[in-house]
Amino acid sequence: MHKTADLLPGTLDMLILKAVSLKPLHGYGVLQRIRQISRETLEIPQGSLYPALYRLEHHALITAEWGQSENNRRAKYYRLTPAGRRRLRDETAGWNRLASAIAAALNTTPEEI
Amino acid sequence: MFKRWRSLLRVLAQRRDFEAGMSEELRFHLEQNIAELVRSGMSRQEAARQARMELGSFDSVKEDCREERGLHLFDEFRRELRYAARLLCKTPGFTATALLTLAVCLGANLTIFAVVDSILLRPLPFPHPDRLVTIFNTYPKAGVERDGSSITNYYERRGRLAAFTSLSIYAYSTEIIGEPGSTEREQTMRVSPDFFATLGLGPAIGRTFTDEETTSQTDHVAILSDAFWRQHFNATSAVIGEQIRVNSVPRTVIGVLPPNFRFLSSDARVFLPLASRPEDRTPANRHSGGNVIQMIARLQPTASLAQAQSELDAQNAVLELDDPQAKMIADAGFRSLIVPLHADHVAAIRPTLLLLQAAALALLLIGAVNLVNLLLVRASSRVKELAVRQALGASRGHVISEVVVETTLLTLSGGLLGLAVGAGGIQALRAFATDHLPLGSRIAFDLRLALVSLAASIVLGIAFAVPVAWFNLRRHLDSALQSESRGGTTTRATQFLRHGFIVSQIALALMLLAGAGLLGLSLQRALAVSPGFQSDHVLTGQILLPYADYPDGPSRLAFLSNLLDHVQHLPGVLSAGVVSNVPFSGRNGKSAATVAGHVRQPGESARGHYSYAVAGDYFRSMGFSLRAGRFLSADDSRRSDGVCVVDEDFAAYYWPHGNAIGQRLWEGGEPGKADDAFTVVGVVGGVKQAGLTADEAQGAVYYPYIYHVTDSVFVTVRTSLRPESLALTLQKAVRQVDPNIPVSDIRSMNTRIADSLVARRSPALLAGLFSAIALLLTAIGTYGVLSYAVAQRRREIGLRMALGAQPAQIRRQFFYVSLRLLAAGTLLGLIGAWLTGQAMQAILFHVPALNLSIFAAATSVMALLTLAACLLPSHRAAHISPLAALADD
Repeated sequence: MHKTADLLPGTLDMLILKAVSLKPLHGYGVLQRIRQISRETLEIPQGSLYPALYRLEHHALITAEWGQSENNRRAKYYRLTPAGRRRLRDETAGWNRLASAIAAALNTTPEEI
Repeated sequence: MFKRWRSLLRVLAQRRDFEAGMSEELRFHLEQNIAELVRSGMSRQEAARQARMELGSFDSVKEDCREERGLHLFDEFRRELRYAARLLCKTPGFTATALLTLAVCLGANLTIFAVVDSILLRPLPFPHPDRLVTIFNTYPKAGVERDGSSITNYYERRGRLAAFTSLSIYAYSTEIIGEPGSTEREQTMRVSPDFFATLGLGPAIGRTFTDEETTSQTDHVAILSDAFWRQHFNATSAVIGEQIRVNSVPRTVIGVLPPNFRFLSSDARVFLPLASRPEDRTPANRHSGGNVIQMIARLQPTASLAQAQSELDAQNAVLELDDPQAKMIADAGFRSLIVPLHADHVAAIRPTLLLLQAAALALLLIGAVNLVNLLLVRASSRVKELAVRQALGASRGHVISEVVVETTLLTLSGGLLGLAVGAGGIQALRAFATDHLPLGSRIAFDLRLALVSLAASIVLGIAFAVPVAWFNLRRHLDSALQSESRGGTTTRATQFLRHGFIVSQIALALMLLAGAGLLGLSLQRALAVSPGFQSDHVLTGQILLPYADYPDGPSRLAFLSNLLDHVQHLPGVLSAGVVSNVPFSGRNGKSAATVAGHVRQPGESARGHYSYAVAGDYFRSMGFSLRAGRFLSADDSRRSDGVCVVDEDFAAYYWPHGNAIGQRLWEGGEPGKADDAFTVVGVVGGVKQAGLTADEAQGAVYYPYIYHVTDSVFVTVRTSLRPESLALTLQKAVRQVDPNIPVSDIRSMNTRIADSLVARRSPALLAGLFSAIALLLTAIGTYGVLSYAVAQRRREIGLRMALGAQPAQIRRQFFYVSLRLLAAGTLLGLIGAWLTGQAMQAILFHVPALNLSIFAAATSVMALLTLAACLLPSHRAAHISPLAALADD
């Protein structure tokens, strides 16, 4: 078992957008994909996943469509909309800025002041 | 934002699919998770448990998902709606009373509002209708308030007044249209070439009239209404250039109007040029309007009414400088007035309509007060339930929204029923009164009205919720929980509120009742006025003598004498006559007469009188009484020296000492040659030409037909039979003399009088109906509140009776309460009724605002009803059994 990290508030939507941007996914697939691309580090609380998906769909950042799953079951697949793609780009840029700023701050040594 | 609304709406529309999809998605998730856990080595049972734990409860995930889609508010609303509907169903008596009250009150308002809307509010169907005005001459000091305009006015003003973009004249007329053998009398309008340009709406096909087409040699053209075109030409566009026969003369069709063209209240189906001779356009003819020709104009976009008026006044002043009649005209107080076309057209009916709308609103107010009272009673029976729920954590917002949902559900349902009542009312109005209302054909029940009334019901629902929510949220709830009775207690404030409502109800109902009484009395007084003749057993009908066949006086007189000879010998006919204008015809133009030897006092101007041309036995057929001298006879049209008959009003004005016979007078405002004078040979009873309520004794002069030739005449027939039964016979008789002349507007004289009073009768009937409903509502309200008070104080009464109080004492106590309410309501109501009477003065006939007998009658009806309504509850109070009262709860 890998050590898992808690999600920062507000990052769930961004991760979901990223997950479905790679390939249309059903809900369970989103869970697996996030686990996979975070190298098994991030564990999404399953109870918040679906409300988040419905919220993103409501805001027209993703759309849903019924399709066939790998084991031939009917499943709801989510894909990114152009608006979602823009949002993901913005959030990624914002996150990167924030992360590098925090990293820089945390790496500051007394000599640098 | 827009996208989110669309998403919510989509989900709401497919709610079932949404819920099913959500369940399926979550189930799929669970199965996938279980399969994976089993693959990683767990037992199936263990995996299922683990998967369920990781996802959490289905219901809470689903609820979160719904909330993300904005569905939770909607679900909450649905829950409250269902709850409210259940509550209303549990009290069918209350709900039925409330719905019925709302339906009647809202329906009455909708009906009246439909009329107000179509007549007063909706703009005329022309572009920029607010720029359209009408201009008329007035000679107030000669007793002529309104005289239309003259052809001279038109030619003098056209293009010379900068405040107007366009100015034109028109006259209503009727014409005989069709080929020989199949003629019909049609409503027509004669209009100047720029008439359609002034209105801003012209022919859809073809062209308008030109200036070259305004002489009687060149005016053989016509423009058709859409309806006429469809009926007679099958809506073919090849109609241009076709011929139609108007008064036996062929005219070329040059245009067809669009389907929505309707000028004010006119039903005209054919439009002809208003032709005139050069001499009609001279200054001598400037003041010859006679209320036949009317003028309309369109104001410049930037010009104000006052600007236009001062421009017109200036022009009039210049023109009068060299007018030979200038002195007389100035003495008569002559002016030309400019008023907005729409407002002017509806001015007469406006006060009546506003009054009826006020009455309908008062009715709604009474109904609303009733409902609020009933709702409060209901709320106080649920005080304990609400107290418990609030104690258990129901929020204030929740309590308020619950009340709002309940009252709005009630008023909206009532509003829907009201739509049905209103639609019925509008239908009834259309069937009975449309002909008598200006712009009448526009009254319709449409989507706009439906939306307005539904919006009003929602507003009403929210208004109802205010006192109920206030009641529910007040801090009496703690005590309600402690008190032992299920109903809870009444505080002074709520009792005061309830009693205040009853008082205002009584006051409003009394106002309505007194108002209706005043209208009824006014109608009765109008009906009691004698028209000046015996109106029963007289049939009248209008005929028009076409110029082509009857160009001059002798040929027309020959036709009329021939016709009268024929009619007089019909079975059932006692006497028959002909007159140029029958009383109550709606045409009330006046003209001047000059009496020989009459010297005008300083400031006195020539007076306008009704002038009639008569032939045959007109006076006898109408039942005029002879005051002096003799009636005119057929011979008077054949003799060379003119004679005439005047009415007693005319005689009394000029010859107050009663020596009218043998006096001489001239037609027109100036003395003429001695040979042209008419000698008065008889005095007859005064006539009410303009209607029973026309107070001014205007005076009338009757000339032999040959001296006052008109092409439009009325035949009057006195019969021993029912007048209407003679209609066909009369029509046949006219056709026998000339098959091309139809008779129109065939009505008995009594019908004409009744029709002239419709503007008084309909409001009186409606007000009567409204006040009857108001009385019923007030009775229900008083009864409801008192019975509730009795029920609530059952224990107290029981206790007092157990301690020795007499039933009579208890009864008296409740009786006194209602007496106090009645006294307060009556006092306020009488003040209101007096104010209402003042506001109604404009439409009352010989009835003062303060009519004691009406007020007394209304007060006693109100008192009887209120006391009757409290009889039953106080009787019930007096017969409460102490044992039973103390035992229950």
